[in-house]
Amino acid sequence: MITQLITMNGHGIYVWASFAVVLVSCSIFYFKTKKTLKKYEKEYLIELKKLAEVDRQILLKKSKIANNIYASSNKAN
Amino acid sequence: MLWYFNEMLKFFFLNNIYIIIEKIINFINSIFFIILAVGLTFALLLSPPDYLQGDTVRIMYVHVPSAWLAIGCYAFIAMLSIFNFIFNIKNFFLINKSLAPIGLLLTCLAIITGSLWGQPTWGTWWVWDARLTSMFFLMLFYIIYILSFKIIKKESLATKVSSYIAIIGSINLPIIKYSVEWWSTLHQPASIKISGSSTIHSSMLTPLMLMLLVLLLYCALIFLMKYKTEIIRIKRKNINRL
Repeated sequence: MITQLITMNGHGIYVWASFAVVLVSCSIFYFKTKKTLKKYEKEYLIELKKLAEVDRQILLKKSKIANNIYASSNKAN
Repeated sequence: MLWYFNEMLKFFFLNNIYIIIEKIINFINSIFFIILAVGLTFALLLSPPDYLQGDTVRIMYVHVPSAWLAIGCYAFIAMLSIFNFIFNIKNFFLINKSLAPIGLLLTCLAIITGSLWGQPTWGTWWVWDARLTSMFFLMLFYIIYILSFKIIKKESLATKVSSYIAIIGSINLPIIKYSVEWWSTLHQPASIKISGSSTIHSSMLTPLMLMLLVLLLYCALIFLMKYKTEIIRIKRKNINRL
C-alpha cells in the first residue's frame, strides 16, 4: 500500500513534486514574511525607545499599535 | 462626506484593525495545520484516481485552488485600484501592496503545477495555448505591478502607476476565464461552474474545497502579516510626529 502511495502507478513523481513545490515555496514565503514583520517590529521598538520617557508614555497611551509592540517585546524579554 | 468617510477609515484601519489582525493571525495559526492535515489526507489518500488520468488528477487539488486564488487576488487588486481612483484612500493601496506578492506566488504555483500535470497528461510541459499564455500574462502583470511600487519611490506616483497597471491587467481576467471556450486549447474546460451543474464527483469536490480552504487561510495569513508590516512601516515614519 505504501509503495502504491509513493509510486502512484508511475505518476508519483509528478504528484509528489507538485505538492512538494507548493508546500516548500509556501513555507519559504511564510518564513520570509514573518522575518520581515519581526524586523519592522524591532526597528519600530528601537525608535520608540529612543523617544524621551514622557513622549513614549504619551505615545503608548495614544497608540494601540505602539502599546501592542511594546507589550509583546516586554513579554518576550 | 467623502472626507468623513476617509477619516473614519483611517482611524478604523490603522489603530483598531491592527489589534483585530493580531487576533485573526492567532486564530488562523491555531486551526491551519488541522485543516491542512485533513485536506492532504483527502487529496492524497481518500480521493479516488480518475478513470482516465489515474493518480495525476491529484495535482488538481493544488493546481486549481492556486489558479482560482491568483485570479481572485488580481480581480480584488483591480477593483480596489478603481476605488482608489475614485475615493483616493491610501489604505486601498496598502491592501493591494500586501496582496500582490501572494497573487504572484499563487500564479507561479498554478503555472508550475499545471506544467507538472501537463507532462503526463498531454505529453508536454508547456504549450502556448490560450489558457496557459493568458496565465503567463497574469504572472507578467503581477511582476510589473510589484516592480512599479518597488522602483517608484514617490508614493503618490507609485499608487497612480500601479493602479493603472492593475486596471489594464484586469482585461486579461475574462480572457483567462473564457480562453478554453473562445479558442481550441489543450487545457480542459471548467468542471466546476458557479451557475449550472458541475461535472465533478463529490469524492473529488470535497478534497478540492478543503485544499481551497487551506490556501485561502494561507493567503489570509500572509496578507495580514504583510498588511501589519505596512502599518508598522507607516507608524514608524510618523513616530516623531507626536
